[in-house]
Amino acid sequence: MLGTSILNQRRHVGLQKLSALAAVSHSTLGPNKKFKFLQDDSTGESGLVCTCFRILESLELTCAVGQLVYEILQAHHRVHHTGSGCLLFLAGAWSQVALDCLQKGVSVTHLISALSEGLDVCVDVFRKCSISTEGLLVQCVRDSSNMEERRKIKLSRHFCESESLDIEHIAAGLSHSCEDAMKLVVDAVRMQQDTGCCQFDVTKMLACVLPGLPEERACVVHGYVVLLPSEQASVAHHLNDQQLRVAVINGDLSHTYRHLGFRRPAGVQRVSDELELSRPSEEDEWVERVLKLLLKLEVNLMLVSGHASERMMELCCRHRILIVEKIKVSVLKTMANSLGVVLVTYATQLSKHSVGSGVTVHIWGDVIGPKTAVNISTSAMSGLVTAIITSTVHGKLQVLEDRFWACAYRLHHTLTDGAVLPGAGATELLCVHHLKNHVENSSHVRGTKASVVNLYRSDVLDLMADSLINYISTLMVNSGNFSKVRARTLVSQQLLNHNSNPGNIAELSRLFCEAVKEGSEEKGQAAATVYDNLSVKQEAWRRALDLVFLVLQTDAEVITGMEQKTEVTQERLML
Amino acid sequence: MSRLGKKSPSVCTDLPLNNTDVCNKMQLLKQLLSSCFGPTGRLKQVHNNIGGSVVTTSASSVLLAAFSSTNPFINLIKTSILNHVSRFSDCGLFAGIFCLSLIEQVKRCDLRESLAIRVNKHLLSLCTSYLQQDDCGCKVKLDFCSSQNLITLARSVISSKPACVLTEPEKSHMSQLAVRAFLLSVPCSSPGTVTLGKVVTVTIEGHSVLNSAVFPGLLLDIPDDFSPNQAEFPFALRVAVFSTSLGGDLSELGDGIIEMGPGVDTDVHILDQLLELGQQIVKDGVRFFVCQKVIHPVLQQYLRSHNVIVVERLGIGAMEPLIQLTGAQPMATLHTANPSKAYGKVRDLNIRRFGSKTMLHLHPLGESTICTLVICHRNETMLNELKVVCQTAEHVLKLTLKDPAAFLGGGCTETHLAAYVRHKSNDGVPGTASVLGCTQTEYLLGVEVFCRSLDLVAGALVHDGGTSLIDLTHAHYWTLPADAMKEHMEDTLGMCGCGLVISPGKRWTHLNAKYTQFHPAPVSGDISVQPQVLDSFTAKLSALQVAVETANLALDVKYIIEDVN
Repeated sequence: MLGTSILNQRRHVGLQKLSALAAVSHSTLGPNKKFKFLQDDSTGESGLVCTCFRILESLELTCAVGQLVYEILQAHHRVHHTGSGCLLFLAGAWSQVALDCLQKGVSVTHLISALSEGLDVCVDVFRKCSISTEGLLVQCVRDSSNMEERRKIKLSRHFCESESLDIEHIAAGLSHSCEDAMKLVVDAVRMQQDTGCCQFDVTKMLACVLPGLPEERACVVHGYVVLLPSEQASVAHHLNDQQLRVAVINGDLSHTYRHLGFRRPAGVQRVSDELELSRPSEEDEWVERVLKLLLKLEVNLMLVSGHASERMMELCCRHRILIVEKIKVSVLKTMANSLGVVLVTYATQLSKHSVGSGVTVHIWGDVIGPKTAVNISTSAMSGLVTAIITSTVHGKLQVLEDRFWACAYRLHHTLTDGAVLPGAGATELLCVHHLKNHVENSSHVRGTKASVVNLYRSDVLDLMADSLINYISTLMVNSGNFSKVRARTLVSQQLLNHNSNPGNIAELSRLFCEAVKEGSEEKGQAAATVYDNLSVKQEAWRRALDLVFLVLQTDAEVITGMEQKTEVTQERLML
Repeated sequence: MSRLGKKSPSVCTDLPLNNTDVCNKMQLLKQLLSSCFGPTGRLKQVHNNIGGSVVTTSASSVLLAAFSSTNPFINLIKTSILNHVSRFSDCGLFAGIFCLSLIEQVKRCDLRESLAIRVNKHLLSLCTSYLQQDDCGCKVKLDFCSSQNLITLARSVISSKPACVLTEPEKSHMSQLAVRAFLLSVPCSSPGTVTLGKVVTVTIEGHSVLNSAVFPGLLLDIPDDFSPNQAEFPFALRVAVFSTSLGGDLSELGDGIIEMGPGVDTDVHILDQLLELGQQIVKDGVRFFVCQKVIHPVLQQYLRSHNVIVVERLGIGAMEPLIQLTGAQPMATLHTANPSKAYGKVRDLNIRRFGSKTMLHLHPLGESTICTLVICHRNETMLNELKVVCQTAEHVLKLTLKDPAAFLGGGCTETHLAAYVRHKSNDGVPGTASVLGCTQTEYLLGVEVFCRSLDLVAGALVHDGGTSLIDLTHAHYWTLPADAMKEHMEDTLGMCGCGLVISPGKRWTHLNAKYTQFHPAPVSGDISVQPQVLDSFTAKLSALQVAVETANLALDVKYIIEDVN
């Protein structure tokens, strides 16, 4: 029989683990991210990563704290697609704050209320220093030296285009040194806007990675790009640039396929009085029936979410019907909607209502290895755009794709928030300033009652401010132009400047950006303003604190299903 | 080749409660439960040793359900608590800590088990009769004309689990929602027997707690891309509800071998039947078609093309509220002769979106007591715990309909009750002792064991090394933080655990110090001061009984006989 063992956590091991795990995030922050090799010892394969989320994804975290960290990072990533590094960094930094305070004798309850208060101060700073995206256009025109010219451009163009001009400026600020990826995103936005809807819909964006091409070949195209094997590619060549009739199938194209949830009857026996040999096989019958239907409906293109049986594929190729398999269901649905056709599960369900027209297949560029890239697009405005991401280094493709999505979502969140935060550490610097002010202001109110509580609170808030200074200086160190010491000195100088001359928050980010630019070739150009996402930062900070709270308040691990013979140690007790 | 091993004889342990190993395990369990107790309790990470998912909790229902032990005492106590929690949802930790403290104190004071059992029984009946009296000093009557006390009750439950990680505004929001959901589940105008409705809980991960909401009617989970063929739904739609699979398979037949002739295609045959059913549905003017299980895509397509809204894979959980709301009879077969009686109605439908999640909102035709509580939180761990406390709060609120009362929370009921028992059992000691068949000293020791165990439960609320105090007027519970300065004691104390008594002019003593017995005075009725923490009356009363009865059972065990094969 299996028992339960209890592991008492002395000395807050959980917080120490969290703090140690968070060290992973340090080198993933900042504009100049460094690649890391991930190597799989069992297969010998390796890949490159440079985001915190990808690193954690590939680490096999078995400890309870590790799993909790991954769960919270994953939940954040699922919604926001960016900001995981910041989340983990702060979770680590604040768990260090908690450890320091616990050592000083601050109780868990006081610690929690002080840390929450600190976060409230920061969130308030976010609210105050957020810049509305509407205001940005005005600011950007004002900043420009040849204001007159700008205005002319603005007036002479269509409204939609003036907005896209706006997006370009914001996008530059949001690129966080991934200019190439952001360029693709901006192109994609433009393309979506051109199709009529003046909006940016990230859910209709796709990415297709093509190995073996130089990175400069990356571009954005209308519709959906897919890699086809040579057999299907030859059909595609025949159909190239013609108007096609299309059927959309959500399921497999095979006679054995049944819809999800269908239970195959067990124990069915076939009784027959003649030899089965003389009858055509079930598959043949099915394939023939479907083919007949397809020919009758004059279908040239089948878009399928599952896979097609070999027999079906072969026959269709012979009849020059192109089957494209394994298309994401969301893409299929967008396609079906724009074509005005019904999505069906079985090919036998097809009727004239479920066949659309106005789709073209276009062979895109070169042959990549044994496969050919084919672009499927509808003449109706589906809004689907695909970013083609290329690299000659296979291991880098994932990084490039991640960067593209990070940029896309940063822009997406900006537009939904309608606001951005000053980036490059400026917001954090303001938070430091306000946290320190808050400590001073509240220590003036010296009630007899709460003075002890106040003392602890100022300690906690001070340490929180320090952890943000640490964040900013880590960003600066990662930019490659500062030593840790110099970064910290610069930050404290900025803080002093800010105290004497408030309202000049752009100073740090200017300095920072120039320093980053020093390393790159484009020395001459003025540094662009950097922006961060409002909602993403707010959520990442809050979730970082959630993580610290959960770990801080945990005092024991209960491990179930333990063998009775497990050695009982001092820390590990059997129930 | 297998070998038969010789069976080992059973192992018999006599007087198991004197066994150190048994005692250590019980003490461990007590520590574990005590450390979880109250709003500042500590959390436990529960997981298996093969890298399964990690649950972070301090709720007894979640924690104990995960446990397994080879020790029969641990299992006895675990089962008792889980059984109590399954009936009343709340006060599981209270029951566990009190029960284990009682056993421990009896052993520590070297009280004879049989005697302890009799004294415990006597005192339990003393407690229960006092707690049910109208003039009981640690109880408030609940007034349904105002929602204040109900919200306080809900808030006390919701605040008691720190793994929810809620801010103050979030706690208020959730407690108000819990009360709203409860009120929506009580029928307004139904003479005769009152049937309570149902609160259906839906959880959504990734959103702020403040986005949580309560809706009258039922919200059904539907696929993200659910797009009904029309934007506006007609008024009073006819509804058909199926509980059998309409997936076109032979699942209804059960096991066994089916022989089929050549050329027989069961799939086509069943599909034909399904389509016949579809035609009937369309002919009968059904506009909303729901199935607990899968619906064949071809049938779905057919129905949709005839403007019927189709929802499949509802799951068993949502069936009962759906049936209550629509008044439909769930159909369990395709071959119903005349299903028109089985159809139900909904007033109308609309679509609600929470982030990426899409839900179909069903409004009842008449008055209905079905409502849906949508709970949002940022991550799964916190969301799961929040769901547990919200369901507990809702259950506790329902229990108030039976007993419209609540106990003062924050440890005050425990200390007050202990003081009352000490005071009450001081009268007529010789008489009671002779009835119980023991000496007066033994009886008084038994009383002390019982009362100290109650005090220990209150004391378990402190986790940061603070000091537990009791005032000598009302016998309410107070805590002094570890870092408080002695000279400011009155200021630091502020108010008692439940918030009904404020500090000026009180005398205190340490909870574990012996105090001369006194009659704990009820707090005089100043209406402007309302308690800030309340516990469920019904749940706590039951927990008290469960704890004492379980402890008595454990004390009564003389031998453990174990089959070790």
